[in-house]
Amino acid sequence: MTITKEAASSQSTGTAAGSPAKGGGRTKNPATKPGRRRANRRENVAGYTFLLPWLIGFLGLTLGPMIYSLYLSFTKYNLFADPKFVGFDNYVRMFTQDPQFLQSVQITLVYVLVGTPVKLAAALGIAMLLNYRNRGTGFFRSSFYAPSLIGASVSVAIVWRAMFSTDGPVDSSLSLFGIDIGGWVGNVSLVIPMMILLAVWQFGAPMVIFLAGLKQIPRELYEAAEVDGAGPVRKFRSVTIPMLSSVIFFNLLLETINAFQVFASAYIISNGSGGPAGMTNFYTLYLYKRGFADGQMGYAAAMAWVLVIVVAIIAFILFRTSKSWVHYAGENK
Amino acid sequence: MFEIRKRRTAVAAAAIGVTAALALTGCAGGGSEPAATYDPAEKVTLNFAFWGNDVRAGLYDQAFAAFNEEYPNITVNSSFLGFPEFWEKRQTEAAGGGLPDVMQFDYSYLRQYSENGLLLDLDPYLGSTIETDGIAENILGIGVVDGTTTGIATSTNAWGLYTNPKLLEQVGVAGYEGGGSWDDYADWMKQVTTAGGAQGISGGTDWTARIQNFEIQLRAEGKQLFSEDGEPGFDKARLAEFWEQGAEVRDPAYTIPQQRLEEIYPLSGFDAAQTASELTWDNFGAGYLGNLGDGYTELGLVAPPVTKEGAKDLYLKPSMLHTISSKTDHPEAAATLVNFLVNSPEVGAIFGTNRGLPASETQLEGADLGGLDAQIRDYEASIQDRLGDAPPVPIVGAGTLEEKFRQIGQELGFGTLTVDEAVDQFFNEMDVVLNQ
Repeated sequence: MTITKEAASSQSTGTAAGSPAKGGGRTKNPATKPGRRRANRRENVAGYTFLLPWLIGFLGLTLGPMIYSLYLSFTKYNLFADPKFVGFDNYVRMFTQDPQFLQSVQITLVYVLVGTPVKLAAALGIAMLLNYRNRGTGFFRSSFYAPSLIGASVSVAIVWRAMFSTDGPVDSSLSLFGIDIGGWVGNVSLVIPMMILLAVWQFGAPMVIFLAGLKQIPRELYEAAEVDGAGPVRKFRSVTIPMLSSVIFFNLLLETINAFQVFASAYIISNGSGGPAGMTNFYTLYLYKRGFADGQMGYAAAMAWVLVIVVAIIAFILFRTSKSWVHYAGENK
Repeated sequence: MFEIRKRRTAVAAAAIGVTAALALTGCAGGGSEPAATYDPAEKVTLNFAFWGNDVRAGLYDQAFAAFNEEYPNITVNSSFLGFPEFWEKRQTEAAGGGLPDVMQFDYSYLRQYSENGLLLDLDPYLGSTIETDGIAENILGIGVVDGTTTGIATSTNAWGLYTNPKLLEQVGVAGYEGGGSWDDYADWMKQVTTAGGAQGISGGTDWTARIQNFEIQLRAEGKQLFSEDGEPGFDKARLAEFWEQGAEVRDPAYTIPQQRLEEIYPLSGFDAAQTASELTWDNFGAGYLGNLGDGYTELGLVAPPVTKEGAKDLYLKPSMLHTISSKTDHPEAAATLVNFLVNSPEVGAIFGTNRGLPASETQLEGADLGGLDAQIRDYEASIQDRLGDAPPVPIVGAGTLEEKFRQIGQELGFGTLTVDEAVDQFFNEMDVVLNQ
């Protein structure tokens, strides 16, 4: 009995404490004001206290280090001696004196600009195939998603490396068709396509999101289109794409940002060297090597901030252009 | 109402309690009582870190077991990583003040760590806890930075030329006899590659990708790679000349193509039985035999090509040192461990030349050197005439520059850089590293 009573009363104070009801309660019933306020304060204190572990983590482990790294980006810091302020030297060096940096930017851009659209196209294509109701759909969905579950792991990068070496499975199969190009891993011009293939193969996450989006599209729209004589291509262009545009936008944004941060696969496949000839020396790998292998933390911090700014600009551009092509259901346009 | 308020207070108190507990446990780690002097009755635990592989880890385990028979009160916790990862981890530990008590250490980082006060001054322990009778003066001098001893060399190694007799027999070419000019060596590699090309065997690897080969050429001219103050002993023209030498050698008619090397990396062509020779440190032999596998039982080890007749171009370098963190709580116990690892004949018997040729006489006597180990000892004796003074303790950033040199060598191998671009890149990098 007491339990229900307590629960009921605490519930009522709970709603009273909620901000919308707060002001109204106070004016209407000034007699209870001090008590209520004290209760509210207590509630807030308890709330923030429970929040504290996360808040400490956020301030101490995320925001603090970020601000500190901004400071470090204007210094020379080798981890041993105290950071020495050098102004914009690191940023200037990046763009004027470091050909490796420019190469790293170039290959990362190729990876993002080619890899992301191809990956999204693959994800959408497979999602559409899986959207048909067939026997064993569940099995297919799981198996197409599987590469993404294991894809980020070290073992897959190792397998990838073995597959694309000279006389590896890929080389041998291509040889059967008379295409004799040897291994990809050590080949300066084939290693980026190989990395992109590895990324594309891990299309599972955007695929699942696409699939969910596809399921949201009302059947009537397709039926109506069919009545109007639309073929599959027309239906895809005029119904699927517009109805899915918000999901496409979401995936595009997420995958682009992820692609900029490619690290693990490049680290494993090149054994941390970024080879051959720096062709897998992607931005974050290069940043890591500068910071931790060369002990140039100031320079690495500057690189990190350039990446943050570039990604922010790209996200901003995507958001701006999205107004013209992303359609949100329920919006009257 | 009263009851509710009480509950809320309790909730808030609980929340504060939980948070405080979290914060406290976060801060309470570490901080054991420091013990200034060694006490055989006191239980002490030391952290020890080294780079290497499973084989070396097994040897260290045996060494620590022997150590514990003598010093049962000192427990050694060891951990190991590959060479680059080992240093990445140490760098961050150094910044955070948490270096292991005792470390296997590399010459190229000794200056940086010493100058920043991260390593214990060993002078008070020399001759007492750390016995120095068996260690030659010049070898003790190796671990001295700015007048203070911070490292003890466990062993020495020298630059040498390994050959693979089994592969040579297979292709029907006589082994390289050692010395000779760089052209002689190039011609010999071409001969091997011509004979072995069909079997995928090359004569060797482009030597211009290794900074040590540049160094011995400079030493032959009476210069050195870097002076103590970090002044380079070469100009752009000299470096360009060196990399031009490689233009011919990089041809697949002479050496293994860079693309093959890339695929087998981190193994070298020599490890993978795809090249018949390799210029490297002489203590790499056991590692080569391990990677080559059971089919290979012997290696040839001869002197590298001569740049200038009669020059003292080679030198003995510490293949590794032992150092102690300046922040260790148990300096005396740590020094005892270092002494054991450096001087004990038992450790000599366990390691052989795995860490290089033992630097301490007592340890060398304990080592029962047979096969390859004896070969390495004889090799170091045979190059006496070419051994000059060791260069000064490497400048801060020497490791970075060596790696950069290797990377640029690879790009030259791929043909993605011209020699002039390569030289500019290296000088740019030098500029940054030397001005840090």
